[in-house]
Amino acid sequence: MKRSKSISLLAMSASVVALTACEEPAVDAAVFENLSQCLADQNVERAQCEAEYKSAKDQHAQVAPKYQSKQDCEADFGSGQCETAPYQTQSGGSVFMPLMMGYMMGSMLSGRTGVASQPLYRSTSDPNNFRTADNRKVGNTIGRTQVARSTSRAPSMKSSTVSRGGFGARARSFGSVAG
Amino acid sequence: MQRIPVAEREDWKETAVEHGFDFHSIDGDPYWDESAYYRFTLRQIEDDLEEPVEELENLCFAVVERAVSDEDVLRRLAIPKNYWSYIQESWQRQEKNFYGRMDFSYDGTGPAKLLEYNADTPTALYESSIFQWVWLEQAMERNLIPEGCDQFNSLHERIVEALGRFGIDGPLHLACASGSEEDSGTVAYLEDCARQAGLQTVLMKIEDIGIDPAGRFTDTEDHVIDTVFKLYPWEWLLAEDFARHIPESSTLFIEPVWKSILSNKGLLALMWEMFEGHPNLLPTFFADDPKAASLGDTYVRKPLYSREGQNIELVCDGQAETIHPGDYGAEGHIVQAFHALPDFTGNYPMAGCWLVASAAAGMCIREDRSLVTGDDARFIPHVILD
Repeated sequence: MKRSKSISLLAMSASVVALTACEEPAVDAAVFENLSQCLADQNVERAQCEAEYKSAKDQHAQVAPKYQSKQDCEADFGSGQCETAPYQTQSGGSVFMPLMMGYMMGSMLSGRTGVASQPLYRSTSDPNNFRTADNRKVGNTIGRTQVARSTSRAPSMKSSTVSRGGFGARARSFGSVAG
Repeated sequence: MQRIPVAEREDWKETAVEHGFDFHSIDGDPYWDESAYYRFTLRQIEDDLEEPVEELENLCFAVVERAVSDEDVLRRLAIPKNYWSYIQESWQRQEKNFYGRMDFSYDGTGPAKLLEYNADTPTALYESSIFQWVWLEQAMERNLIPEGCDQFNSLHERIVEALGRFGIDGPLHLACASGSEEDSGTVAYLEDCARQAGLQTVLMKIEDIGIDPAGRFTDTEDHVIDTVFKLYPWEWLLAEDFARHIPESSTLFIEPVWKSILSNKGLLALMWEMFEGHPNLLPTFFADDPKAASLGDTYVRKPLYSREGQNIELVCDGQAETIHPGDYGAEGHIVQAFHALPDFTGNYPMAGCWLVASAAAGMCIREDRSLVTGDDARFIPHVILD
């Protein structure tokens, strides 16, 4: 047979949308506000607490949401809850990001599979819950917990955009790319 | 190879909408046309198209190999000098390529002749992969066509498989320019495929790409773009404002930039120069090459960069005719021996053969009522039946 045995469309097709609406599986994770909280947890080894904390702390500056004004950052994360990021805009201005409010790691009891250790944040719109750097809700449980699989993924790098629109000029004069 | 009139499925427009095929008609004229289909034998597909396509792909690689080590070639292709080393590195790093479409003149007998290679931003993908497949299944089910038909079309399976092999960690961004339904439809389909391959995806417009203080590209959420599928020609990207950021951006582009050598019509002249006499190639020269005179006064003149058949001139006994006008041609031209598309009662089909990860993966037939296939060509489904 020279043709695909089957075809399927997830989002484009009206008829199989139900497939994407299924509930996401949850995975085991552990959440702590700081290193000492983790060290106090009987279920976690000291070395692991330290290693995962360091990993989250190292990622913080790269993955935290970025703002070009402190005001904008504080509007999302609260007064006094933002710090200067170790980056500068091209014109030499400062870049701001929220403080790291906790960290998430894989659960030691489930073999730590699949959960990327990462920093957590709290926003003013949902102050009771931890959120990942990609703004996925983690919940408010300290210690062992469960999170949606999509939440456990490594957060994306966040930057601050200094300009847009540097691509696309030719499409405006030529139209479709259809080759 | 036969062109066979056939009854349309009464509900095909509803079926199209159901399957997300929003651009089945363009400016009110049907683009998808199932009032006929082309029938091929398995031997025609396997011997005359599938096998030559993969062989030609290898010849293309030999051209890239030569181009990256020969600045004269890059100059003849009018590739901007600032990006020569970026292109060389992309090839040396063996950045994976994704898909492309080789367009042939083929009438069912004799060798198919390569007219051009859309290696960078081919469209017509979704309708080839999905809608043509659905048509085949339904047309057999409803006895519109004989039982036991097959189709040269493993596109969907190959695309999902290939996307899974890029080793993409984190989200795949997919970008095209705003304003073209056809482009958006193609990107939406590829996003769907990427999700089936287990990838996270972000759909965006090429105009919305931003740049951060460290010279990395960002999306509208200020996330750094690690990998982007761009349905936007390399020759355009390299000529625009943000081009200077590309080499140091650390963004992985799909298609990789070395494919700009293949999407350039100068490729056809280079192939003829290196593999003169190959049965699937037409004599082709850069327009300023003295050897171009050997074509006499009947030939086809094509801009190095051109899309939708625009600015292609048919020169017949010295008389030039441009069928689809446009704004291409500033970078130079090639001239190619004239080899007419076959004539099926006033319809001129062009056979587009798909490659996914450099393997032959399917075919689309687009028919025009002129000898130059333009953006008003109609998509006609095909079957394989011995």
